Amino acid sequence: MKKDPNKGFVALLGWSLNAVEAAESFDRRYVVVAPDWAEEYCQQHDIPYVPWNFERLNDRSMEIAQTLKDMGVDVAIPLFEETVEWAGAINSALLNNPRLLGQAMLMRDKSLMKRRAQLGGIRVGIFEEAHDRDDVIRFLKRVNQTLLKLDGDPNDPIHLKAFDKAGCLGHRVIRTPDEVDAIPDEEFPSLMESHLDGWEFAVEAWIHDGKIRFLNISEYVSLGYSVFVPASPELESYRPQIRSQIEKLVKTFDIEFGFIHPEYFVTSDSEMYFGEVAYRPPGFKVFELLERVYGFNAYHALILSFDPKTTEEEITGFFPKEVEDADGYAGCFGVYPRRRVVSRLEIPAETEDHPYFESHELTPPQQETVTKRTAFGTHWGLMYFRGEDSDTLKTLLKHQEDLDFYV
Amino acid sequence: MTDSDDADVTRDAAEQAAQKLDALLVRLDEALAVMARAPAFAKPGKVPRVLDTARRVMLQDGGCAAVAARAEAIEQAGVFAGSDWATPQILIPSLSRIALRSAEADLVVIEALSELRLLAVSQAWFLHPLMSSEQAHHYLTQVLALNLEMLFSPPGEAERAQQGRLAQVPRNLFRYLAETIGYEHVIDQLIDEIWRIQQQRPIQVDMVKHMITQIAVCRGSGDINWGGSGQGADRLVSSLYGPTQATREDPGLEEYQRRLDSMDVTALQYEASGFARAMHDTGLVSPYHAMMLRHLPEQSDHLLAECLGLSATGRDCLLCYRELVHALIDAAVHPDTAQAVYGLALMLERGILYQAPVAPALWRQLRLPLSAAAEQRLVRTFGDAVPPASRLLEGVLCMMGLPLGVGQGNNPTCQSARALSMWACNDPDYLLQMVAWAARDDEIIMHFEGQSISSRESAGGVATEVPVDLDPVSLLVVPHLDRIYAEMGRRCLGREGDPHRWVNPEFHGWWSGRGFRINVDVATGLLHELEDFLRHFYAAYHPYYNGNQPLIHPQPAGIAVTDSAARFIGWHAITLLRVTLDPSGNMRAYFYNPNNDSGQDWGDGVVVKTAGNGEHFGEASLPFEQFASRLYIFHYDPLEYGEPAQVSQEELDRVIGYVHRSWGATRLPAGALQAEDGVPTPQ
Repeated sequence: MKKDPNKGFVALLGWSLNAVEAAESFDRRYVVVAPDWAEEYCQQHDIPYVPWNFERLNDRSMEIAQTLKDMGVDVAIPLFEETVEWAGAINSALLNNPRLLGQAMLMRDKSLMKRRAQLGGIRVGIFEEAHDRDDVIRFLKRVNQTLLKLDGDPNDPIHLKAFDKAGCLGHRVIRTPDEVDAIPDEEFPSLMESHLDGWEFAVEAWIHDGKIRFLNISEYVSLGYSVFVPASPELESYRPQIRSQIEKLVKTFDIEFGFIHPEYFVTSDSEMYFGEVAYRPPGFKVFELLERVYGFNAYHALILSFDPKTTEEEITGFFPKEVEDADGYAGCFGVYPRRRVVSRLEIPAETEDHPYFESHELTPPQQETVTKRTAFGTHWGLMYFRGEDSDTLKTLLKHQEDLDFYV
Repeated sequence: MTDSDDADVTRDAAEQAAQKLDALLVRLDEALAVMARAPAFAKPGKVPRVLDTARRVMLQDGGCAAVAARAEAIEQAGVFAGSDWATPQILIPSLSRIALRSAEADLVVIEALSELRLLAVSQAWFLHPLMSSEQAHHYLTQVLALNLEMLFSPPGEAERAQQGRLAQVPRNLFRYLAETIGYEHVIDQLIDEIWRIQQQRPIQVDMVKHMITQIAVCRGSGDINWGGSGQGADRLVSSLYGPTQATREDPGLEEYQRRLDSMDVTALQYEASGFARAMHDTGLVSPYHAMMLRHLPEQSDHLLAECLGLSATGRDCLLCYRELVHALIDAAVHPDTAQAVYGLALMLERGILYQAPVAPALWRQLRLPLSAAAEQRLVRTFGDAVPPASRLLEGVLCMMGLPLGVGQGNNPTCQSARALSMWACNDPDYLLQMVAWAARDDEIIMHFEGQSISSRESAGGVATEVPVDLDPVSLLVVPHLDRIYAEMGRRCLGREGDPHRWVNPEFHGWWSGRGFRINVDVATGLLHELEDFLRHFYAAYHPYYNGNQPLIHPQPAGIAVTDSAARFIGWHAITLLRVTLDPSGNMRAYFYNPNNDSGQDWGDGVVVKTAGNGEHFGEASLPFEQFASRLYIFHYDPLEYGEPAQVSQEELDRVIGYVHRSWGATRLPAGALQAEDGVPTPQ
């Protein structure tokens, strides 16, 4: 698409084909900042590209900021968890705002993040940092003592999350001290949280000029398996409260622009608990789902919300009306093989024949033996569904967990 | 259930199917639009969604037409970009065979899309920059001629095992291709194929009739220059539409009834012999023939015998059981169930009415009340033009007359089809008993080692879906048999060795030998005592080694099916019928394959023949050595059994060579020869 020189120039940090595709078809100039393995592909397809290997921030960090500044880049957009602090560092240079780096560091450390939220008066569960396995056992015992459990009662689980990993990666549920032994050394230090019984959901919010421009609620059917948008009418009935929670979050974290992806719990007494927040696009292809129901490209929205040259009219004109403008519900299901040995991909006929089934991204199995899932693990591909009724969709998504896709 | 309910059921189903197609087309259009919008580098990522959606569209009725109508959009979106299909002028027709039989869905679908695109080009629905409409047309006629069998038969073992549901896509594709570009371009191959199929005398002839009708339509349109082609079409077309003097110009049923009413005995006799000749020539029955048969009982039994084309045996049988035959004609023979005539004629010829229980069992069949479920299944599959009981009776007559014409359809139920065929051959009144239980009670109870097994209480069978592409008897009985068969298998869980050892005799009948041999080690899947196995097989079945004893009862046997490249496909149930010298003096094994088309190429020169080597209708045959090389299970009577045969080492080595070059290649036990990697699991 023809680029408009009066609009911003953005740098995409990290390689995501979907993001590049969206940038290519949008009116902003863009450049991809990615490790050198992407170079050949970018040259082949005329994709503007600057090589950069993202490791921990170091004293060469200024170098990439300077390169981008010299190119005339206005803002850097993180696409992955690992590039969030890079975006913070680069943007603090590009936008001449040193606080942005500190803000990014908060987003990268789940423990700091929780403390900051707590300071801002946001409700969080009980949490602690763990540096070794003994910490985990102590925390498990303490939490269950607090819950007045006697010896021998089944424990309430606790959650263990690596400090700086995205989404479900490194997320473990621990119920007994035995399970603690299975945690590998490299997952420490990590964050421990008490388990909250309730309804877990995620929010995608696009922010510009310190204001929320579009707020989507993604409803999880089963954590790590399935999600759909917009949320069901039952969950959407909490929208005003959710919105004020997000406003609080935006204020507490001092977010002026960009995109956040926080997770919350609603407990049975309608209380909201903050889980965590990420400053990057969500996994599980929620962007894709949003495009399927609302018709707007969520990456375009991402670029708009980051670009300092975006005008008020442009951004208000861009977004549809939340929920009202959605055409049905779109959801996806992450497939994990259920058998230990699989030979081929076979989508169950009942799934394929369901009127809500749209498409899938499953590929034939690359190996015959399925590695045992440890933490939540990575799914083998997504199934997409869309339909008019959220209850039907929910039941359908839930039901997929009982089916074999690899036999 | 009333007639109007049935009509509603059919209409609702059609409406639902149309809605489903519409919904899928919306998805296809979306997927194409997404792909068309994407920048070039992102297009490859959009292809899978287009292909998968297109696959689902092409599985629906009318789906191929809808895809062809979008051919230009598919091309423009870039589905073919970067592949061989982007340059259709270099595509080779014979490769389509391989692509369309692939287990890889995407390959099948992109080939099908390419074919449909070229169809659109050939019809000038859009202009392709690289291919003219004449070129496209020429290419498609070649593809069609190379894949003709897809027009007739449901998928065989190989396709079913490798492709599953996907196998329907190329079938729908070819039907649509043939209907659109016309059959006249492939007429010669088509006619040969019809004769080849009909030589096997299948019970189900709907597809064959459909094709013959297409040929008739082609011939009817005067603007086609037939040239030298179309030889042999006359007999096929006339057997359905004008087999006799008075039907030659296909006068219509009403007009023919008027003609019958005014015929004298000589004229009737002339008509009767015309019908009989056509029927026995082709195995197809004209609706006029059915009409004449209904007309004749008022005349004489002599004419009836003439009209059925009976020999002395059949005529005797007819005269002995004339009341029964008249009742059967009255109930089962209608223009819509014309094949019943052929079934009746052959049943009389077989003389099985002389077995005491058969005639009374047929009287029961004539008055059998059908369960609601049975009626519904028959109506759903065959429509309501004739009462479901008549439809079932047609099926019963055909199965009793053509026991080797039973086909399993596109279902993994070879054992059940084999059992039906075996009973029709060997124990016809038992078959009638099964039909009565299934159709009236919707339940069959069999016994396994003294314990009863009810089809109603047993969980799922081998087939995951309810089969619909079957003859009327199989349609009602197979689901029950399938569940019982699977349950018998379940009751053998934990026993050492192959469960067929116990299941086959209990399931098929006392005459299946209790002696059992298998040449595969169940635990490892490797070949096991192959030479010993073969020596025993020769001793039990080869007339030169068993004291020249012809095979007495049909025996169940297991085959390792291989594809045309001799690669292992799966295990398959067949019936061994005869072992005898063929007309050219070679020892041959004649067997029944529940597959719908027995003429198969099993690779390494092993080509199963269905005619020309002394086969009876419906038999498949192989030279004894080649047959032995694909065998992995057989039964025998341990009491009538001699020493392992003194077969020459040379002959055994030839058989073993066939085994090692095909399904045994990856199953060599360690130590014998180098074993390949990966032990295949036994099934």
